[in-house]
Amino acid sequence: MTSLILIEFRKLLPYRTFWVILFIYLTLLLLFVYGSSNITINGQQAGSDIYQFPGIWQKLTYIASYFNLLLGILLIILITDEYTFRTFRQQVIDGLFRSDLVLAKLFVVVFIGLVATSVLAILGLGFGIPNTSQVSVSLLLSGSMHLVYYFVQALGYMSIAVLFGFLIRKNGLAIICFLLYTKVIEPLIHWRLPDDTDKFFPMKVLSSLTPMPGQAVLDSITGPTISLSPQEAVLPAIAYIAVFYLLAYLLLKLRDL
Amino acid sequence: MANVLEIQNLSKKYPGGTQALDNLTLQVETGSIYGLLGPNGSGKTTTLGIVLDVLQASHGTFNWFGQPLTKETKRRVGAILETPNFYPYLSAYQNLKVAADVKNINPKEIEPVLQTVGLLPRRHSAFKEFSLGMKQRLALASALLGNPEVLVLDEPTNGLDPQGIAEVRELIMQVAAQGKTIIIASHLLDEVQKVCTHMAVLQAGKLKTAGSVDSILARHEQVIIATEQITEAMEYLSQLPQVQQIRPEKNQLILTLAEGFNSADLNRFLFSKGVVLSELSVRKKSLESQFLDIIKQSNQPPA
Repeated sequence: MTSLILIEFRKLLPYRTFWVILFIYLTLLLLFVYGSSNITINGQQAGSDIYQFPGIWQKLTYIASYFNLLLGILLIILITDEYTFRTFRQQVIDGLFRSDLVLAKLFVVVFIGLVATSVLAILGLGFGIPNTSQVSVSLLLSGSMHLVYYFVQALGYMSIAVLFGFLIRKNGLAIICFLLYTKVIEPLIHWRLPDDTDKFFPMKVLSSLTPMPGQAVLDSITGPTISLSPQEAVLPAIAYIAVFYLLAYLLLKLRDL
Repeated sequence: MANVLEIQNLSKKYPGGTQALDNLTLQVETGSIYGLLGPNGSGKTTTLGIVLDVLQASHGTFNWFGQPLTKETKRRVGAILETPNFYPYLSAYQNLKVAADVKNINPKEIEPVLQTVGLLPRRHSAFKEFSLGMKQRLALASALLGNPEVLVLDEPTNGLDPQGIAEVRELIMQVAAQGKTIIIASHLLDEVQKVCTHMAVLQAGKLKTAGSVDSILARHEQVIIATEQITEAMEYLSQLPQVQQIRPEKNQLILTLAEGFNSADLNRFLFSKGVVLSELSVRKKSLESQFLDIIKQSNQPPA
């Protein structure tokens, strides 16, 4: 178990692609968070109010939810690389079993999820503390449940990516299919189906974890959208993650390496 | 003697419909250097892929050391399949560190194997900067990690220059001298004849022949005879079922005898018929002509 984690670190940490994608993730996030104070709503600049606790956590995780795709792409690259380099093959020859390969990538997903969530926590504290007049620990922590929801969401996105990686094995094609599914195919299905049904679809469940701030206001204008609350979405999201990993394992089990 | 590897009725059909392997059964004895021989596409790599757990067999079973595949048995086997498989952005040393972790081996063993294959001075260079020969040698180093009891090498001299080939051959002999079992897949007959003790010939996924290299070489000896009564000799010999082939050449006859019928039997037979030989010699076929014969026989429809 620990050796599996160690092996993944040996491969991941010297890999430039990993650092580049992490850097892009961080930069985009920083830009958007920084830029969001200049958003004009109803003729008023949002200003520094937007950074105040406890609301900042929900806003931050909502912004970050858009960049989960980057983390997914990173996972696809990591997995399809192993097919290209034929290193999955070599490791199975040398002593691992297919279940170890999937488990090792689960560790990577959890690790990157923790890194992304920590980045958000640091950003939240960095922007929140200077812009909130009276900071107390309880105020800091209130709303920080959103970080947990974000963590689950990041795992969810990366797990779908893992499945696409194992399924398609070629990096370009896998990335295209991943983006098509998450951004085109599922939204199209949502559009055709009643909200009551589609709220349980994987991408909808995952996006329910980081609801848009001010959704309530929006709903009062356009009519309510039916989706799960973050609390309700956690369990289905975890169930989906488990299913994606199970499918990835079965694929690996049934096919030649 | 115990068998290192036993393969029972192994078949493999690829999704495209190619029957890559058809009911293969063979055993590899402990301590032998086993050559898996066959033309390209005959199923050598498929066979090794299955016993190394990367390909799924359609039918049949195999076991290592008399047991089904486990982490333990995998770690007793060091193997290269087709190409050297490493992370291009990691150095030779870092790549072997990954391999050592997978095999659960002390990283202290890395430098000695790099030394063995002559890559120690280049241990901090990235794998992608290596020449094909160096990549092949790194793969060999990785297979040697942990001092496995069995070495499985798929075309180990592919891409090496003549000096590299000689070095690899030397290395194989050294490893074999320690009493280890080596399984080599190759289409280079010369390689097999020089290093192997046993061999199996595959063609189109079927086992054509298997056994010790000596016994296969001894099979179908050619006997060359000369006599003054050449027409009579031809007549008698063509009636003898143990003579499989007669080829007249100048004033000699070149005969291929069936197994179990040797040159002494031939001599006795002809003498009893009143044919006296002025010359009789036995020529062993080279592995190459032997191999070509084996392959050719199977191309002909069964009589």
